[in-house]
Amino acid sequence: MPEYTVATLAAVVVVVAVELLWARTGIFRTAQYWITMAIVFFFQVLVDGWLTKLSEPIVRYAPAQFAGIRFPFDIPIEDFGFGFALVTGTIIAWQLAGRKEPA
Amino acid sequence: MPGEYLLLMAACVAITLPLEFVLGARVYRRPRRLLLAVLPLLLIFSVWDAVAIARGHWDYSPAHTTGWLLPFAVPVEEVVFFIVIPLCGLLTFEAVGRMLGRRAPAAPAAPSAPTSSAPPSRSRNVPSLPEFREQGHVSGAKDGGTGVGDA
Repeated sequence: MPEYTVATLAAVVVVVAVELLWARTGIFRTAQYWITMAIVFFFQVLVDGWLTKLSEPIVRYAPAQFAGIRFPFDIPIEDFGFGFALVTGTIIAWQLAGRKEPA
Repeated sequence: MPGEYLLLMAACVAITLPLEFVLGARVYRRPRRLLLAVLPLLLIFSVWDAVAIARGHWDYSPAHTTGWLLPFAVPVEEVVFFIVIPLCGLLTFEAVGRMLGRRAPAAPAAPSAPTSSAPPSRSRNVPSLPEFREQGHVSGAKDGGTGVGDA
């Protein structure tokens, strides 16, 4: 399996595991989180689509290092795992930091 | 244009500003918490980026980036990305929370006698106003009560 594909799958698994086994912020059970991710996904398509458009790419992916599926637009599908891990990880950290915040 | 990637990031910051200042996300106004949320992911993803660049997973168009490189050949744009995108995510998360909170202000109300084994605020960092008052803070907190000790 291409390395970026493996790395992305691993990142998603790690973030989900961190939430379920350690952080336990409960975000996966909230509408707030899932609505957020839907909005983030929509804007990722626009921003990432711009970054990866094959006509004039800003970020150029080595064809051998990802699965080769670009959707939607020219976005390598791995990017959505990357984005999920980045944003979910940040929200988990935000919730943890808020827990410690002096109430 | 060499500044294109950075401009795109600036656009992300600009377009999400109303979430903070119109919808009351209160993310910029909790800088310590923001830093604690962004920093760990910034470090992890910068390492990921450095490894991916070193192993040739991707590179950056010289025509659309500044060419300013950080250690391990990570473009400065990437670090900006790892700050801006999480920031946008948090602004969205908090704004959505505010919207949901407005529609249903009586989120599981502070139980007067918590009998369940789970702590009442397990999955919510923001205490409801009644909880907040119970904790002995002044009434009339404007923002649902997380303003104390923010800055």
